[in-house]
Amino acid sequence: MTTVDRALGRPRAFAPVGLTVVRRHPLIAVLAVMVLVFQLATGSFLDASNLSGIATDAATLAIVAVPLALLVISGYLDLSVGSTLALGGLVAGWLAGQGQSPVVAVLGALAAGAAVGAVNGVLCCYLGLSAFIVTLGMLTAVRGLAQQLFPLPLSGFGSGFAWLGGSRIAGVAAPVVIAGLVLVAGALFLALTPGGRHVFAIGVNREAAHLSGINIRRTPFALFVVTGVAAALAGAIKASVLDSAVAGTSGAGFELTVLTAVLLGGVALTGGSGSVLGVLLGVLFLGSLQNGLTLLNVPTFWQQMAQGVALVAGAALAYFAPRTR
Amino acid sequence: MTEPSLRIRGLSKSFGGVRALGGVDLTVPMGQVHALLGHNGAGKSTLIKCLGGAFPPDAGTIGVGGRTYTRLSPRESIAAGVAIIFQTLSVVDALTVAENIFLGQEWTRFGRIDRKAQEEVAAGLLERVAARCSPRDRVGDLPMGQRQLVEIAKALSRSASVLVLDEPTAALSGAESDALAERVEDLRAQGLAIVYVTHLLSEVERLADAVTVLRDGRVAHHAPMTGQTRRELVRAIVGRAVGDEAGAEGSAPAREHGRGVHAGSADATPRAPDGTAPNEPGEVAGVGTPSDGPTEAPGDGPAVEQAKPDADRALNAAVSGADGEGVAGTVEAIVDDAAGEAAEPDGLGARDRTGGDTEDEGPAATVGATATDGGRPPAEQVVSVAARTPRRPDAPPAPPRLTVDGLCGPGFGPVSFAVAEGERVGLYGLMGSGRTRLLETLFGGRRATGGAVRVGERAVVITRPAQALAAGIALVPGDRRRQGLFPTLSAQDNALLPAVRPLARNGVRALGAERRVFEAVADAMGLRPARPKLAAGAFSGGNQQKLVLARWINGVHGVDVLLLDEPSQGVDVGARQEIHQVVSSLAAERKAAVLFASSDPEEIVALADRCLVVAGGRIVGELSGARLTEQALLSAVHQAGTDPVPPVSPSPVQGAA
Repeated sequence: MTTVDRALGRPRAFAPVGLTVVRRHPLIAVLAVMVLVFQLATGSFLDASNLSGIATDAATLAIVAVPLALLVISGYLDLSVGSTLALGGLVAGWLAGQGQSPVVAVLGALAAGAAVGAVNGVLCCYLGLSAFIVTLGMLTAVRGLAQQLFPLPLSGFGSGFAWLGGSRIAGVAAPVVIAGLVLVAGALFLALTPGGRHVFAIGVNREAAHLSGINIRRTPFALFVVTGVAAALAGAIKASVLDSAVAGTSGAGFELTVLTAVLLGGVALTGGSGSVLGVLLGVLFLGSLQNGLTLLNVPTFWQQMAQGVALVAGAALAYFAPRTR
Repeated sequence: MTEPSLRIRGLSKSFGGVRALGGVDLTVPMGQVHALLGHNGAGKSTLIKCLGGAFPPDAGTIGVGGRTYTRLSPRESIAAGVAIIFQTLSVVDALTVAENIFLGQEWTRFGRIDRKAQEEVAAGLLERVAARCSPRDRVGDLPMGQRQLVEIAKALSRSASVLVLDEPTAALSGAESDALAERVEDLRAQGLAIVYVTHLLSEVERLADAVTVLRDGRVAHHAPMTGQTRRELVRAIVGRAVGDEAGAEGSAPAREHGRGVHAGSADATPRAPDGTAPNEPGEVAGVGTPSDGPTEAPGDGPAVEQAKPDADRALNAAVSGADGEGVAGTVEAIVDDAAGEAAEPDGLGARDRTGGDTEDEGPAATVGATATDGGRPPAEQVVSVAARTPRRPDAPPAPPRLTVDGLCGPGFGPVSFAVAEGERVGLYGLMGSGRTRLLETLFGGRRATGGAVRVGERAVVITRPAQALAAGIALVPGDRRRQGLFPTLSAQDNALLPAVRPLARNGVRALGAERRVFEAVADAMGLRPARPKLAAGAFSGGNQQKLVLARWINGVHGVDVLLLDEPSQGVDVGARQEIHQVVSSLAAERKAAVLFASSDPEEIVALADRCLVVAGGRIVGELSGARLTEQALLSAVHQAGTDPVPPVSPSPVQGAA
C-alpha cells in the first residue's frame, strides 16, 4: 500500500507510525478536520445511519477507483468508465427484467464491461494509441451504444436483483463489502505480486521495463479489462440500488469524479506512483464532502465547486509540500 | 586572399581548474577550408563554443574580419560574421525553409511578415548552397542533408564570413556527404573561411587546405595539407610526440613521453599469455583487408616472445623517468599496424630508438605494442581487473557462447563474429558507428533484417527482449536514464525487477528471498549505500549503473550472454572498476560471454580480451592480445572513415571457423 512512499526512501521518522502515515497522506488530516467540522455543524454527520449512507455512496466510486488508479500508475488512463457504468447497469437490469437470475444478470454486465475494456486495451496497449483520445472517444461511443440498445429507461428489476445493492452481509451493505474486497485485492496486488512491481516499473519508465524483459502490453491491457469490469459492476450495483437504469444519464460525469478521487489520493497522472490507501482516502474525502454539504443544505452548484477546488488545492498541496518539508 | 578572415591567438579556457584550451592559435584566411582534428576531449568543442560566444575565453583574442575581440557574446559572434553549424542542427522542424532562414530576423511589411520577399531571398540562398528544396517545404519533411543546407543558407543570410561545421557528415548518408563536400568547395570559392571539424581523415584529405590537430587543449600539429600523410595526422591525433608547428621530427619533447607511456600502458601485461591463446594475433585483421590475418599469422607468435625483454626495458625506462623512446617507437609501430602496413610476418623486435624514421614502414607492430604493455607505470588497479581472469595459455579453446552470422539490422550489418565462453569482447567505434544498434538488435529491442544468432549450439530468433532473456541474453542499455533506471522506485525493485516473477511462489512475491538476493548482489557489487528501500534516483551514477547491472547478475536469471552498452558512462572511477570486476567475474565464473560497446578506448583496453572495431555499421578490424592498445583503437577508427569498407570474412573468430 505504501510501497511507493517506502520506495521514495524518505528518512525514517522517530515519530509514531501514525504520524508517518499522516505525513505520507496529508489527506488524512484534511479528512479528519472536515469530518470534525461537519459533525460540529450538523450534529448528525457521525451518526451510524449517515456514515453507512456515505459508505454505500462511496462504494461504487471505490470499486472503479482502485483499478483506475492501477491503470494510471502504469501510465494509462480510462475516461470511458462513466459510460461503461451506464452500459453495465442497463445490461444487468435488462437481464434481470427478462427474468434471468441475478447472477446471470451481473455476469452479463461484467462481460459487457470486459468487452469495453478490451477494446480500450487493444487500442491503447497493443496499437499504441493515446489512452486519453481512445477512452475519450469510447466515453461517447459507449454512451451512444447504450442509448441505441436501451432507448427507454429500464426499471422493475425484481427482488432478486435488489439483493445486490440492498442486502447486508454481517450488518454491512453488500456494495461496501464488495468495495472493501476490491480495495484489499488492489493493495495486495500492488504490494505482493510481481504484477504490482511491473505496474510501477511500466509507469516509471516504459522503455526500461521493456528492456528488463517485462511484458509492457499485457499488464496494462489486463488493467483496462479489469477497469471496464469494475465500472460495469458499479453500474449493476447502482441499477440495483435505484431499481432503474437510464441510458442517457446513468453515470454521466462519473469518470471525472472517479479520476478526481484517484488524483486526490496522490496517484500521479504521469504514472509511476500512487497507493491504494491514498485512493481510499480520496474516495472517502469526496464522499464525505458531498454528504456533509448536502446535510448543510448547500446547493449542488456549490458542492460541485467545492469538489473542483478540493482537487486543485490537493494538487497544489502535493506540489508545494516537498519544498516546505 | 591573404587577409585572414579568422585569427585566433593564444586562446585559453579552463573549467574549474581543468584546462580545456591552453593557448590555441588558429588562422583561417578567406577562401580556405581549415580542418580541425583531435579526439574527444581534445578541446575542439570548447574552441568552437568560445568562437560562438557560448562562454568567454580566459585569455587570448578572436579576430574576425578585421576586428579583434577578447570576448564575444552569441549575438556579437553572429554580428561579426561567425556561423556555426552544430552536429545537432538548430532548425525548427515545424517551420518552412524560408521561415527557418529568417527566424529571428523576419522581414516585415506593415507589421506583418513579408512571406513573399522572404521566400524570394530564401530561394536565392538555397540556390547558392545548391539545395534541392523549396522555400515553402516544411523542414521536418526534409532529409538530414537538406536540413543542413538550410542551416548553411541561414548562415549566409546573416552574411557570415566564417563558417564552422562541426562533424557535418556524422548524420549524413554517403551520397549526402559527397553533396555536402561539393557545397563546401563552392563556399570556399565564394570566399568564406571554413573551419571543418571532423573525425574522418578521408574528408580532410578531400577538402582541407590546412589542418590543425588539437590534443589536450593545445595545438599538437598545424600544417598546410599539401604533403600531409594520414600517418602523420593520426600520429598527431593519438599523441605521439610530433612536435610543434614546425613539424619537427625525432626530438620528442619530454612532456609527451609520460603521456605516451600512460596511454599505451593501459593495456595489461597479463594479456601477453593471450598471445598464444586460440583467438589471437594470428587473426588480428588490421583495418579492413581480410587477407591480413592469414598473412600475419606466422610471425606473431615469435614476435610476442621477442617482445618480452623489450617490454621490460620500456618499463624500466618509464619507471625511472628516463626518456620513453621505446614508447615513441611503439606508437609509430601501432599506427603503421592499424594502417594495415605492418603485414610483414617477421617482427624484427621493438624499435626502441628515437621516434624518428617516419618513412620506415614499421614491421614490428606487435612487438612494439608489447613493449608498451610493459611500459605501464606501477601496477594499476585497472590491470588488476583485467588480470582477475587471466586466460591460461594452455587452456583448450573455449567453445563459442554467442555466434553472430551475417546479422543485419537498421543501420548496420552484415556483421559476423563469435564470443567464446568466458570471453569479454569490446565493440569500439565512434558515435553512430552502429555499436548500440547491434547490441539492441541482439537483444530484440530492434528488428533484425537478416542473419542468424546462436547461443551455444542453439539457434535463436529474437524479436522481443523477453525472447532474448529466455535465450539467456541480457542487455545493460547505454542510456541509463532513458532505458535503464526507474528513479522513483526502490533500489531493490531496480536491482531485482526481472527476478521478482521467477522468485515468486504461486503468484505471490517471495519477499524474504527478494531481500536476500538483493543483499547478496548489493554486497557483491559494493553498492553504496546498500539500502534496499532508497529510491534509485538518489544514488550516484555509478551506483545507479550497478543497480541496472544487478538485474542480470543477481543469479536469478541464467545469463549466458551479457551485452553492455557504454557500461561506465557517467560513472566515477571507483564504481567503474567495481563494474568491470563484476562483469569480469561473470565471464570467469559463470562462463558467460560478454559483449560490450564503448567509445572510451581506455575502457576497452581495461575490460576486453578482444576488440572489434566498428565503423559504418560494419566490423572493420579486430584487435586482441598485445595489439589491443588505446593508440591502436584510435588509429583504427580514425582510419576507417567513410571509405568503402571491405567485407570482413564471415567467420573471423575462433570457434566459428
